[in-house]
Amino acid sequence: MAEKFDHLEEHLEKFVENIRQLGIIVSDFQPSSQAGLNQKLNFIVTGLQDIDKCRQQLHDIMVPLEVFEYIDQGRNPQLYTKECLERALAKNEQVKGKIDTMKKFKSLLIQELSKVFPEDMAKYRSIRGEEQSPS
Amino acid sequence: MENFTALFGAQADPPPPPATLGFGPGKPPPPPPPPPGGGPGAVPPPSAATAPPGADKSAAGCGPFYLMRELPGNTELTGSTNLITHYNLEHAYNKFCGKKVKEKLSNFLPDLPGMIDLPGSHDNSSLRSLIEKPPILGGSFNPITGTMLAGFRLHTGPLPEQCRLMHIQPPKKKNKHKHKQSRTQDPVPPETPSDSDHKKKKKKKEEDPERKRKKKEKKKKKNRHSPDHPSMGSSQASSSSSLR
Repeated sequence: MAEKFDHLEEHLEKFVENIRQLGIIVSDFQPSSQAGLNQKLNFIVTGLQDIDKCRQQLHDIMVPLEVFEYIDQGRNPQLYTKECLERALAKNEQVKGKIDTMKKFKSLLIQELSKVFPEDMAKYRSIRGEEQSPS
Repeated sequence: MENFTALFGAQADPPPPPATLGFGPGKPPPPPPPPPGGGPGAVPPPSAATAPPGADKSAAGCGPFYLMRELPGNTELTGSTNLITHYNLEHAYNKFCGKKVKEKLSNFLPDLPGMIDLPGSHDNSSLRSLIEKPPILGGSFNPITGTMLAGFRLHTGPLPEQCRLMHIQPPKKKNKHKHKQSRTQDPVPPETPSDSDHKKKKKKKEEDPERKRKKKEKKKKKNRHSPDHPSMGSSQASSSSSLR
């Protein structure tokens, strides 16, 4: 799994470096650098071909759209991961709190129902069998 | 890990599961209690046909407990378990939430040239626009041949200042690490003006003791000439004595 990403990362780094060198050549162009420019242009074409080949290996990778917003705003995409984990944990705690409260409510309800409807609750316990704990 | 366990401390000691109760949603009104005699006109107890989907068939005729359901299995994954530990994400949690993550994109991609911290809408380079307006695809990438390369013959000379976007880099460090910056930058430019400044400073330092000696000699001479204050060494005193 990680090899796929390493492969793509390597190609992207090479491509970015080629673009950077092309930028340097173009920023102060000399007639003697025409051959180098032509070579760089073809490196970019081969770089794009390499990146395009990586697409086949990564077709099953899902990227959340929200992370693009972070990148478009010039923010670190790791902040998205951080906020996702924090939100997940907060929601997890909320749900756990609800479940615990409902469990407490259930045991209290059984306790009180057993006082008011002892026969019915005895039946209920017999139906539930071993699942039912004495309240 | 300490941070993580502190946030989800209750997980370690879950409360014992209390008694289970399988009442249904309870939307339909409860049936009237059957008469003790059970006469022919009596309303029959609700059967499985009246039970909502999900109701336990075996529990359909269980006395007063209509709409009884099967209890969910204890093995089912719910929010009562710590899902981050369940999916082995503690390492990721501690990595991203344990310490402060730097805000800027250039901190994530430090080797990427250009000013990448600006919003993508600024220079029309946003990833969102790539999705909203996808480029025309279909053609393969072919190498540029000799005749096509003729289109890339450029004019000689430097680019105008406003086109030199490649050279703009975001500031990497703040003033706090000035000493470190000077150390790291020194070896990179071999012929920087800082070296010549350094030499000048050294020359100044070398000259300083000579100047001091000369000054001292001058002062001594002046003091010798002033009969009133033979022991005074300050320039003010010497100037005042010369005025007298």
